[in-house]
Amino acid sequence: MAAAGGGGAAAGRAYSFKVVLLGEGCVGKTSLVLRYCENKFNDKHITTLQVITTSLVSSLNIGDSGEQLMILDTAGQERFHALGPIYYRDSNGAILVYDITDEDSFQKVKNWVKELRKMLGNEICLCIVGNKIDLEKERHVSTQEAESYAESVGAKHYHTSAKQNKGIEELFLDLCKRMIETAQVDERAKGNGSSPPGTARRGVQIIDDEPQVQSGGGGCCSSG
Amino acid sequence: MVVVTGRELDSRRPDGAMSSSDAEDDFLEPATPTATQAGHALPLMPQERRTEFPAFRGPASLGASAGCVQRGPVLCHWTPPGTAGEHAAAEGREGAPGVSGTHALLQRPFGADCGDRPAACSTAEGPICEAVVCYRRKMSLKSERRGIHVDQSELLCKKGCGYYGNPAWQGFCSKCWREEYHKARQKQIQEDWELAERILHLERGFVFFFSTQSTYIVGDYIYIYICLGAPCFSHLYKLQREEEEAFASSQSNQGAQSLTFSKFEEKKTNEKTRKVTTVKKFFSASSRVGSKKAEIQEAKAPSPSINRQTSIETDRVSKEFIEFLKTFHKTGQEIYKQTKLFLEGMHYKRDLSIEEQSECTQDFYQNVAERMQTRGKAVPYHRPGLGLNLTALVPMASAVTTVLEGTKPGGISVPPEKVEKIMDQIEKYIMTRLYKYVFCPETTDDEKKDLAIQKRIRALHWVTPQMLCVPVNEEIPEVSDMVVKAITDIIEMDSKRVPRDKLACITKCSKHIFNAIKITKNEPASADDFLPTLIYIVLKGNPPRLQSNIQYITRFCNPSRLMTGEDGYYFTNLCCAVAFIEKLDAQSLNLSQEDFDRYMSGQTSPRKQESESWSPDACLGVKQMYKNLDLLSQLNERQERIMSEAKKLEKDLIDWTDGIAKEVQDIVEKYPLEIKPPNQPLAAIDSENVENDKLPPPLQPQVYAG
Repeated sequence: MAAAGGGGAAAGRAYSFKVVLLGEGCVGKTSLVLRYCENKFNDKHITTLQVITTSLVSSLNIGDSGEQLMILDTAGQERFHALGPIYYRDSNGAILVYDITDEDSFQKVKNWVKELRKMLGNEICLCIVGNKIDLEKERHVSTQEAESYAESVGAKHYHTSAKQNKGIEELFLDLCKRMIETAQVDERAKGNGSSPPGTARRGVQIIDDEPQVQSGGGGCCSSG
Repeated sequence: MVVVTGRELDSRRPDGAMSSSDAEDDFLEPATPTATQAGHALPLMPQERRTEFPAFRGPASLGASAGCVQRGPVLCHWTPPGTAGEHAAAEGREGAPGVSGTHALLQRPFGADCGDRPAACSTAEGPICEAVVCYRRKMSLKSERRGIHVDQSELLCKKGCGYYGNPAWQGFCSKCWREEYHKARQKQIQEDWELAERILHLERGFVFFFSTQSTYIVGDYIYIYICLGAPCFSHLYKLQREEEEAFASSQSNQGAQSLTFSKFEEKKTNEKTRKVTTVKKFFSASSRVGSKKAEIQEAKAPSPSINRQTSIETDRVSKEFIEFLKTFHKTGQEIYKQTKLFLEGMHYKRDLSIEEQSECTQDFYQNVAERMQTRGKAVPYHRPGLGLNLTALVPMASAVTTVLEGTKPGGISVPPEKVEKIMDQIEKYIMTRLYKYVFCPETTDDEKKDLAIQKRIRALHWVTPQMLCVPVNEEIPEVSDMVVKAITDIIEMDSKRVPRDKLACITKCSKHIFNAIKITKNEPASADDFLPTLIYIVLKGNPPRLQSNIQYITRFCNPSRLMTGEDGYYFTNLCCAVAFIEKLDAQSLNLSQEDFDRYMSGQTSPRKQESESWSPDACLGVKQMYKNLDLLSQLNERQERIMSEAKKLEKDLIDWTDGIAKEVQDIVEKYPLEIKPPNQPLAAIDSENVENDKLPPPLQPQVYAG
């Protein structure tokens, strides 16, 4: 997991991305990650408790190249809104979750988009996620509206259901692909001009292709 | 051969002065007799004397004095370890000339063996020796003689040779002094030499490095070899080389030998006395081997007990580091070298801002990691942030290190799965050493921030879990147990020195929090629950030097650790918690502004109202106290009510009397008591019956017959 930024990504190397989960409280951010990670981790026989802790900060391998995602779950309560910058600092991607049955949560997503674009510019890949599609009957946010909004801000829109495990896999895979593209474009740009290593180091990290990285590994080191 | 003359050293002085341009020369000043002796020695000296001692002319004497520390004052350093601090301080001062002396002597080929020694002695011998003795004497005289009230007879040589004597030479003139003390000094030198030899033997036996007194012994030991000059040094230098080679070839006793070496190295970086640092800089610029020697010099600085403890821990870490690297054979050696190079580089950067130091450290992490990932491919070696600045600062240092290293560093071949582990070990090793200088440095306002957040947390002592919506029920014994553990962990963070260990504490704390939430809620915890609980824990624990720790981790932790894995996540959350506490207001606690202000000012405590809902295991006395407080406040209230009632009653009474009085008055005014003249109308009836005529005649009784 050693960091090595700046240089070009050779074949056999994988990226490591930081993804932040934002959205109002109770829209299902944690459930999304939990669902995603639990399926990944099931065959590893990890106890429930570990799943809980690892789910909040997941290092996952996606695809064949073994990209790593560090997913940061955040507290959605309004009172913690001001802490957002600490979480999304240096993030490569953001997943903005709203509840399709809750109009307010969609407004909140709009606020987040504005803030992220203002603070991080276009470098960050945005995903707007309408969660809880199992509650289609109680839908209060129209698909049309959400998708057109997502397009207008350069984000992708997804529909998911953490309960029924719908659309989650696609969401993460797609996001990962987009982040790789962004990173590669970034690198090419850097290859041409002189790159500021300071920002690169803390931004994209190129990591060794490790077969399996999970928080358990960090746990045993950190217990000392 | 060495030619130590005042002139030669004089010419060296300017470039030395250049390197120590940061005005820390306070140490060097006393070594210059012109500056220090101006008080008494110089004015007393006859003019012709001065020509006899060129050493007294300005800066030249610095080098001169340095040259002869080798013999004069040596003995006094052989006082047993643990002598008073002031003595140690004096030693520290005299150490500086010693370095210079060594440096002068080291111009000789390293191979020169001990047999050369007498020659070295004789060359350095001469009037310049006296300069140092002067300097030594001055230290003791300073307190005794302030003014220049000296008798003429006192000025002359005690031996009566007719020349002027000098208090610095105990009243002798230079010639007599030399004769007088020549023999004694020769004897001392002999003794020193023997002692040094003995110590060297000791060193080979690794005995003294394991003694608890090692700091002192090491200090003295290093001092000896500075005092005795080149022959001894070359001897040691060879030893050092041997040790390095031993490490490389993984001999059976390699661990122990490397340990001694590393200890030796560590001493160099461990001690920090401003003065010594200055000296080190001064000489490192002016001489090829100077930097190396100057660092050795540091070991001689006084070590208070706290330093000793630190060094014990440092020793342990070095030992572990070397043990760990042994498993990598050649690669391990390479890593060890790189790490040491870096530490040396950092040593010169102590005066830089903390951000720059942080940048250097981060660059180092990145570089090492990168090189390990190239898996043995030859990579043109460059040290960004280390080489450039360092060479600019001390031009010779890199040359020295290159000479010492011998080999050209290239890519490091390491199995990829080990990279992380090695990085952890490197971090542990370097940060244990740098901790002292880079944690909460004086150049930043970290300490101020620490105090601010501590005060803030104290002011917020009244915040309850309910206000923060913390999903933790402390009435459940298991949960309160977890909470206590979490608090312990977060407080423990301050005691760790390595950023990774600090992170581990945060992670442990977070795990306990998750457990607590899980037990309370009986379902998986989410970030929605976690952050408030962490805030609550921080508020309850009030961990010491919170801001400093956060800053330290941010600056010096291996960035890959902060960017990936749960440690990074929990650390981010801790930063959030601190940010939240700093900005906390009434709204974020769902309180009204008035309540918030009242709680903040300490007028009331929300706990009082909640005393009924206290957990059963809360202290009985406290409960009783709050009950009594309640009763008291009730009593107070009643009394106040009675008082006000009484006042009201009083007022009522007064009002009533007043009212009555007023009423009476009114009535009296309204109906003034007037004695009117007796009934006039009555009289009028009788007297002047004026209108009587107009009245109808009185009715006459009429009788009706009937």
